[in-house]
Amino acid sequence: MKKTIIVLLVALLAGSFAFAQGAGEAAASTGPMTITMLYSATQTEAGSLPDDWAGYAVLRDKLGIDLQLDMLPSNPNDQDLAIRTRAAADELPDFFTCSREVWADLAKNGQVLDVTDYYDDMPNRCAVMFDQAARNFVTYEGRIYGFATPSAIAGNEGLLVRKDWLDNLGLAAPTTLDELFDVLYAFTYNDPDGNGKNDTYGYGAFVEETVSYEIYPGRRFEPLMGAFGVEGTWDMGADSFGLQIHKDAYYDWMVFFKKCIDAGVIDPNWQSYKKDDFRAAWKQGKFGCFREQNSAYASENNYSPFDANFPNGGFIVVDAPIGPNGDQSVGPLCQGMRVYAISSDVSAEKAAKIVEMFDWMSYGEGYMLCGYGEEGKNYILDADGLPQSDASLGDLGYNQAGGQRYIQLRNCAFNYSNAQEIALRYPGYITKVSQKYMSAGDVLLEMQKKTWTATPGQNSMPAPESTDVTTFYQQGIAEFLNGKRALTPENWKAFVEQFDKIGGLAWEQQGYDFASANGLLQ
Amino acid sequence: MKKSGKNYLLVEAIEKLQARKKELEGSLKTAKEQQNTAEVARLEKELEPVNAQIKEKKRAFRKAENGHLLAEMNRHKFIYFLLLIPIVYYFIFKYIPMWNAQIAFRDFISLKRTGITGGTWVGLKNFKTFIGSYYFWDLIRNTLMYSFGKLLVSLPLSIILAIAIYECTHKILRKVVQTLSYLPHFLSWVIMYGILLAILSPSEGILNDIIKMFGGTPKSFLTDTTAFPFIVILSDAWKEIGWSAIIFIAALMGIDTSLFEAAIVEGANSWQRVRYITLPSIKPVIVIVLLMKIGTILNAGFNQLYMLYSPAVYSVGDIIDTWVYRGTINGQFSLATAAGIFKGVIGMLMLFVSNWASKKFTESSLF
Amino acid sequence: MAKKKNISVAVRPTAADHGFNIMVTTFMVLLLIILIVPIWSTIALSFRPANYIGSYLEGMFLAPWKWSTAAYRSLLGNQGFLNSFGNSLKILVMGVATALFLTVPMAYALSVKGVPGKKWITIFVMIPYVFDVGVVPTYLLISKLGLVNHLPSVFMPVALSTYNMIIMRQFFEGIPNDLRESAFIDGCNDVQIMFKIILPLSKAIILTIALYYGVSFWNDYMRSLLYLQKSALKPLPLLLRDILIGTSMNDNLEASAFGSAPIEAIKAASVFISAIPMMIAYPFIQKYFTKGTLAGSVKG
Repeated sequence: MKKTIIVLLVALLAGSFAFAQGAGEAAASTGPMTITMLYSATQTEAGSLPDDWAGYAVLRDKLGIDLQLDMLPSNPNDQDLAIRTRAAADELPDFFTCSREVWADLAKNGQVLDVTDYYDDMPNRCAVMFDQAARNFVTYEGRIYGFATPSAIAGNEGLLVRKDWLDNLGLAAPTTLDELFDVLYAFTYNDPDGNGKNDTYGYGAFVEETVSYEIYPGRRFEPLMGAFGVEGTWDMGADSFGLQIHKDAYYDWMVFFKKCIDAGVIDPNWQSYKKDDFRAAWKQGKFGCFREQNSAYASENNYSPFDANFPNGGFIVVDAPIGPNGDQSVGPLCQGMRVYAISSDVSAEKAAKIVEMFDWMSYGEGYMLCGYGEEGKNYILDADGLPQSDASLGDLGYNQAGGQRYIQLRNCAFNYSNAQEIALRYPGYITKVSQKYMSAGDVLLEMQKKTWTATPGQNSMPAPESTDVTTFYQQGIAEFLNGKRALTPENWKAFVEQFDKIGGLAWEQQGYDFASANGLLQ
Repeated sequence: MKKSGKNYLLVEAIEKLQARKKELEGSLKTAKEQQNTAEVARLEKELEPVNAQIKEKKRAFRKAENGHLLAEMNRHKFIYFLLLIPIVYYFIFKYIPMWNAQIAFRDFISLKRTGITGGTWVGLKNFKTFIGSYYFWDLIRNTLMYSFGKLLVSLPLSIILAIAIYECTHKILRKVVQTLSYLPHFLSWVIMYGILLAILSPSEGILNDIIKMFGGTPKSFLTDTTAFPFIVILSDAWKEIGWSAIIFIAALMGIDTSLFEAAIVEGANSWQRVRYITLPSIKPVIVIVLLMKIGTILNAGFNQLYMLYSPAVYSVGDIIDTWVYRGTINGQFSLATAAGIFKGVIGMLMLFVSNWASKKFTESSLF
Repeated sequence: MAKKKNISVAVRPTAADHGFNIMVTTFMVLLLIILIVPIWSTIALSFRPANYIGSYLEGMFLAPWKWSTAAYRSLLGNQGFLNSFGNSLKILVMGVATALFLTVPMAYALSVKGVPGKKWITIFVMIPYVFDVGVVPTYLLISKLGLVNHLPSVFMPVALSTYNMIIMRQFFEGIPNDLRESAFIDGCNDVQIMFKIILPLSKAIILTIALYYGVSFWNDYMRSLLYLQKSALKPLPLLLRDILIGTSMNDNLEASAFGSAPIEAIKAASVFISAIPMMIAYPFIQKYFTKGTLAGSVKG
């Protein structure tokens, strides 16, 4: 069997070749200082920052930095895993971004650098971010171990209602919970799209939850929960602090929720939809009222399928419905944060360089290079000195597909709050089919004006120690809604008592300790 | 001492000597009781060489046995040579991580900071978290329900599929089925979930359309605790039987076809041939596949359940792995390792028991 | 493939035989229908245009002239696609070669009767099989070995799968012992027996196990995620996952690199793109699946 021997030999060779391949390329350099950075890309699928990105040269020539970038995977759980395993092996990059949970463990273990004294070295960045809440976000035992930058625009979601359906049925935009219920009912049973089929629902949602902040049934139901004052996981009031589920009004909310489900006005797929299914569903006109994010609704790419399907269709942003006791809220409002940290293994000299680079990214040349790319290649300046993308740039324009790779570091540059940035990010456009003007920026401003419950820092609240507590919570509520448990005051009380016994009370205490220690009580 | 092999004669000789020794000792005892000194001295003198002989023969026996073992080892010395690299591989890639797994019992930070063994011993905390869980028995019950359910449904189906492919006389049909049957294995559960929604969705699923056609009320199957286990087990079979059948098809190819010819001549029909030739021929492979699956019986299919379940069906859909995963999102890797060790211990026990049973009843076994 | 029916012309098929054939054919046809549903609907899904409207069911039977290739264009047009495909191919070839190099000798060695200590070695390999130690302990090993950011890190931790090895051993054990004995009497040692007797008779199982390994290496993303941190080393499953999850998270972006394809189409298309090499491999392997491989190998 000569052949087999040859095959095995080749295998052996391939194996040894494999080991030899790609051996360490890190050579000690005398010139610029090498900084390794793990970053969260604006758009992972567009691919890593190109080698010809002009920022590399500027960093090398002006700051003496040889920046070595690696991109984090796009899934948040994968990101956590990647950082945690590297931390366990002491392979953390010099500078990286991670979730707050991971950061908290690293800070506790002494694996990230105390940067309290470095804030003063970033005058430009401090001018646009790092308020007290942001510093609290990354404080561990009185010292600051990272930089918390805004990760998204606060209050960028809103309650949308199909305007054309309201008009078809001769209904006014709902303001109270009762009116909303009537609208949902009509959307479900009165054939709002006039296609002669009973194929629409009133309210659409899917389960989008963060246990410590927006627990089951989650964010997409908050405008309805807000009418009972039970939106979010916690009530953050100094006097009324506690888990929302402990409020009497939570039972009223459950009764209303169950009523909606039994009346069939909520798309029954809400428990099985994933995010993509949900988004595909409203674009196909399956339901007429839902909570959605400004850009997911109104930016050109996201709106165009809906526009093609329903050229005469459209949405209005309405305020959250007012409940029986006058409560009203689209949801809890708090600024999302992205944590940057420096490995505690770097030298003081390198740490200073990293801070210098981070500051450079937040203003002037660095800001433009990270946020919009290269002038003349990815953007041109208009008369007001603002970056614009036009046809002359072709595919490489910063808002075109090919230009996306050049702005992968945008998260390090943007502050997600100033009006100019928002206007540039969400330019107005004319829709392809219905030829109407749309602007995700305008939608954002409208959404921000609605009634929110300001609860800064709620997104840093602790999750329960044990999964059992969460499981019991979620499973119990789902079973009440599905009729597996009868929704009566006695049953509800028994459920909450059992929840407390399993660890609900301990969790509430843990939350109270955390909130009071970090000044989160309102 | 076994009465077999090359040392049979030695064993027999030793036994003879021992019988003689017993006889002499018996007489000696009587002589002593009778205080017959001359007889005692005579018997003792006679006993001496017997004892010496027994000793000698036993030594010879041990030597022969060892020689035999050495001879066997020598005969198969190349086998040990072949095993060398794989065993080194096992040490490095399987046993070192198992050694590293002790970090689950320690306050481990990182390699340089605490090292594997440097962290303080926190003991069985993580086991207690897992075993003391409010849902522990539910998790065990659900996990076993799915793994046994899948074994009971998918394994027979994949064997039937393999035999059907083997026996099918339509060449084109056989080729097409053989090629298509394993493709669903490549569809991820994300995709399969979409297909299941298309069938089971309460608002537009095909199944509910049919129910409505007959005047029934539509049902949300994916959030129904009665329907959910069936959906899980059947959709797993749907996706995987073709893939699982590959190994049985390979086994069927080894059957000596002359056996069938002989059976046909003796008048056996197709059913009897399957019953008395085909199945017994692939039985050892079936048994081994079954044993290997039993070793990992507490892995009930994380990817599938994580995709399919929701809080509404936690009571019947939460398995050990999904529960642990929700716990490890908070970074409790140690919990995952503890649960992994728990699953391993149970798996090992099940493996030993079923291996013993299989050795006894089917004559094929792992070890 | 010689069909056994042709060999035995002397005996007429009975009614039971006919019943058996009808059963087999019915089963196969039914199965075919059941299997086509997911495959076809995934194909249709992967060609779904962005402005699709309708139920899932209609989506499954979307007419080909309404199809859009946007999903495939966005995946295949990704700037990292070719590079990732190349990485995956390298992992596949190196991985399967290494895996067979480790698995075949061990499976053979454990299949030989009368080797002292065999039982203990089997238990030795079964222990790691049942104990799953989790992510971090293995990462620490790979890191210490210096394999991080080297393609072999993806397959080395699983290059010798106990499951595959034991299955292969079982097939080797199924080869009649007389063959080995006579070869032994002819003066062959165990290694020569492996090459001369066992391997030539075991093409089907070796290829099947190679397929098992190939599929697991080709589809792996977890190890690639952990061990291949450089973008240039990213294999296909990781790239596809990035595209998939990235696309579904683009809610707050004003421009998407791949705007024109709906996310569900990208999901489906990525499944096909990643499965294609394996789909090609299996029919090739089937050629070596011939009935009665062992027939006539034992001299009467």
